[in-house]
Amino acid sequence: MTTQATLPPLSEEMARLQRRAIRRRRTNRALTYALAFLLVAWILVPLLLIASMAFSTVDAVRAYPKSLLPNPVSFETMTFFLNSQGVVDSTVRSIVVALLTVVFSTLVATPAGYAISRYLFRGRDLFKLSILAVRAFPIVVLAVPLAVMFIQFRMRDQLYSLALVHTALTLPTTILVMSSVFASVPRELEEAAHVFGSSPVRAFLQVVLPLAAPGIAASAIFTFVTSWNEVFAAVILTIRSRTLPAQVLTVLGTSPLEYKFAGAFFMLIPSLIFIFFIRKYLFNMWGQITK
Amino acid sequence: MTPPRRGKTNLTPYFLLLPSTLFLILFFAWPMFQTMVLAFRGEGVILNLREAPENGAAVTGQIRQSAQVILLGNRGIPVAAPAAVSGEEEAPSETGEEAASAAEPWYLIRGLDMANQAFEGWVPASYIREDEPETEGGPFTSGSVRRRDRDVRSEPGPISPVVAQVAQDTAVEIAGQRTVEIWYEVQGQTDSGETVTGWAPSRYLEVLSTGGEQVTGFVNRGDSGEWTLRYIERMFADREFIPALITTLLLIVLILPIQFLLAFIMALLLQSRLRGNTLFLYVFSIPLATSDLAVGIIWFSVFTQSGFLNSLLQGLGLITSPIVYLSVESKHFMILAVVLAEVWRATSIVMVIIVSGLQAVPESYLEAAELFGASLWQRVRYVILPLLKPSLQVALILRTILAFQVFGVVLAIAGRGMTVLANEAYRWYVEFRNPNMAAAYSGFILLLSMITAIFYLRSIRTQEEARE
Repeated sequence: MTTQATLPPLSEEMARLQRRAIRRRRTNRALTYALAFLLVAWILVPLLLIASMAFSTVDAVRAYPKSLLPNPVSFETMTFFLNSQGVVDSTVRSIVVALLTVVFSTLVATPAGYAISRYLFRGRDLFKLSILAVRAFPIVVLAVPLAVMFIQFRMRDQLYSLALVHTALTLPTTILVMSSVFASVPRELEEAAHVFGSSPVRAFLQVVLPLAAPGIAASAIFTFVTSWNEVFAAVILTIRSRTLPAQVLTVLGTSPLEYKFAGAFFMLIPSLIFIFFIRKYLFNMWGQITK
Repeated sequence: MTPPRRGKTNLTPYFLLLPSTLFLILFFAWPMFQTMVLAFRGEGVILNLREAPENGAAVTGQIRQSAQVILLGNRGIPVAAPAAVSGEEEAPSETGEEAASAAEPWYLIRGLDMANQAFEGWVPASYIREDEPETEGGPFTSGSVRRRDRDVRSEPGPISPVVAQVAQDTAVEIAGQRTVEIWYEVQGQTDSGETVTGWAPSRYLEVLSTGGEQVTGFVNRGDSGEWTLRYIERMFADREFIPALITTLLLIVLILPIQFLLAFIMALLLQSRLRGNTLFLYVFSIPLATSDLAVGIIWFSVFTQSGFLNSLLQGLGLITSPIVYLSVESKHFMILAVVLAEVWRATSIVMVIIVSGLQAVPESYLEAAELFGASLWQRVRYVILPLLKPSLQVALILRTILAFQVFGVVLAIAGRGMTVLANEAYRWYVEFRNPNMAAAYSGFILLLSMITAIFYLRSIRTQEEARE
């Protein structure tokens, strides 16, 4: 109410109206914050619950009623999960598949993203449109025929074949992100490089690529997490060389609570870390599609 | 770089697009086509009978898979011997007679049979444990009978006349070797009931009885396929089909409205420039990259019998003993849990799409509206929503199509208690080992997705046309 003192004197009526308006504004503001914090709680509480389970003792995991916070904090549950059969192996496989996916999709998507961002050519819109169509289409539809195909070509149960499928899954997004990343690199810099006599390839490698690197890294991280999370194709295409989600899914029906909870938390870790690094690029990634 | 030149086509962009185009054709278009082929084509359901025991011979008739047949005779067609038929590697299976491989080595053996009579006849090489040849790498000249008593036949072929029986461990002389592919002369009935006779390779046939005058068998697998609707019919008739379809659609109907409302609220909150905006943005987008399986397990931990919900209710004194939420008897709770999990997990992507759409809404429009005293609702209804339509359309298509393939969440929360379409595709492929049925289900999902996309695109376009 300090501002009011500096204002010219108002009639009783006006002052009351103004006070009410200010009060309403403040209540609105407070309500907005309350809503925001409510939504934050909606997102965070489930994560806290699973984290608390993952760091409780096995007895606490099985106990009823459960306490919200681990008491005492213990690595027993996590240790049990990590020592369970197949977990370490499948984690390594998941990482290998995800890294292969990152390599494949970055290699294939970079030229395409560059072409879309730098050239106007006939069929450009068609290409962008078909990429959107492809992205909307289901991995469920791809996994079964690819599994049959991989059996024919003796590519079944191989990590690289799963990585190829994951690449198909992530490629459309990667291409769109790449094109927006390249679009944000000023064309003038590249032209300057040409003027000073560098070849197009050299200009790309030495001028554009370093500037685009953070964006490419963000998209690579997103690709990694997508592959790490993917479970349907993984469980269909692998038999012995299960990835982590496929492994957890296969034993889900018979595994004890501590295995499930620790497994869930373990699978969530990369997404929690990585989304923090790529939050700036989220809108590049998903905003693209509406343009 | 090179500015677009008129008149002259620059090939560079096409060259740059080539790898991704090829990749998408190979790993998207082709599998989709293959889904349809798998769903509509029964491979190996028809066996061609041929005039003579060779692959190129004229077809005399066609017999359906699993049909009963009479085996009139057999012939071993010599083929080039495989590289090494040396003894010890790969232990022969007990069902050596029906070996799946096309070519099979046979030995001509001599010795004394069970009645101590001298005999000469043929047995599959797998019957004989060979002795070390005299010269290294040389042919086997002697051996003994493996495992059990065996029939010796007049010529290579499992239903050739038996000339002698040899007891286990009898020492025999190996007088010759021939690698043959066995063909049977088959008599069976076609679809139209006509009796046909012809030759077929043994790997397509299963011999049932070898005793008695007549040798019977059945067609194990055919060598050619046919276009068929039986997988589709079987899918529609499947006990789990209707429940899976209903659950999938119900989930979409329940999830999408909540999701869009929530995402919209989140987006507006982010637009209203609260302090700590970046923190809110980070928190709201956390679920974007979470594993659906893990999220399913999180909500399982809430709703399971000894879970957090029961713990909370009991702590508040509202219940005295834990309620069972996730069982077949309480489907509504399972649906609720899946809805909450999906809303939790997939609202972020809708939010991000809406936020980036909102960023394209010119600030001046909103300011103008505010200046003219438009309430929040009026601003949303008349300024924001119309401008946001393309984003909403994209989000709607994306979310609906993704909702058709909801899988990990449902499996984690409901296990076998509840099924959705993607779950059925998984079950048919992994548990029943039937790729055709799995493809029928995934083809169905594909069809639903396409219909949805076309429906959304068209309905939005017609609205636009109506406005113009």
